[in-house]
Amino acid sequence: MHHSTKKWLAIKFSSIILIPLMFWFIVNLASIYDESYAEIVNFFSKTSSKALYSLFLIAAFSFFSLTISEVFEDYISNEKIKNVATKTLYVFAIVMPLITISSILSLN
Amino acid sequence: MYEKNPLSPHLQIYRWHLSMILSITHRIIGVVNSLAMILICLWTISFLFGEENYEIIKILFQSFFGKLLIISLSWSFSFHMLSEIRHLIWDLGYGFDLKISKITGLITIIGSLALTILIYFLGKNII
Repeated sequence: MHHSTKKWLAIKFSSIILIPLMFWFIVNLASIYDESYAEIVNFFSKTSSKALYSLFLIAAFSFFSLTISEVFEDYISNEKIKNVATKTLYVFAIVMPLITISSILSLN
Repeated sequence: MYEKNPLSPHLQIYRWHLSMILSITHRIIGVVNSLAMILICLWTISFLFGEENYEIIKILFQSFFGKLLIISLSWSFSFHMLSEIRHLIWDLGYGFDLKISKITGLITIIGSLALTILIYFLGKNII
């Protein structure tokens, strides 16, 4: 399979997973955003919230890193800069959700 | 000469139409949502710094700006979800007809506004 086909399939797969998780997250965010610290921590301490939020972060960062790299492909003409920008983006898309998931898992 | 060529998409050449506006908006909203995801992560990480340090964020979220931020985020997520569903339908080979494309485009715009209201009301237990 061609590299571009694999990338396209990965974008589509991540978007199918992301849509329901995005809906779940935004409804819950609208519910808790202005609540007290204890209420918010209580929500994120639930096992179901931890699992769904972790999945949401993985799907969102996978999807956004793949699609933003397409934006780089379209608008950055210098190959060297494009490669550095894309690699930096991919590293960031792994590190950021990892740190966030670790912080959520440490909540009791 | 090559350096001066316009990059895709050629906004200054084509006449603006609904599908073009939606395509550009989809891309811009995608970038905005990516940046929003970073802020969401930072918000989550901020819980580790304890209740006292969270007070500033709580005051911000309880203000008019906080409500506006959540409603804006609800719309940008709603638009992205519906636009992505539209793209998935195209990927299955449906909806390429010009008339259908315009209808699905309008559904995306109106639907994103309706979904924003639904998300906010669901979140606030109003419905």
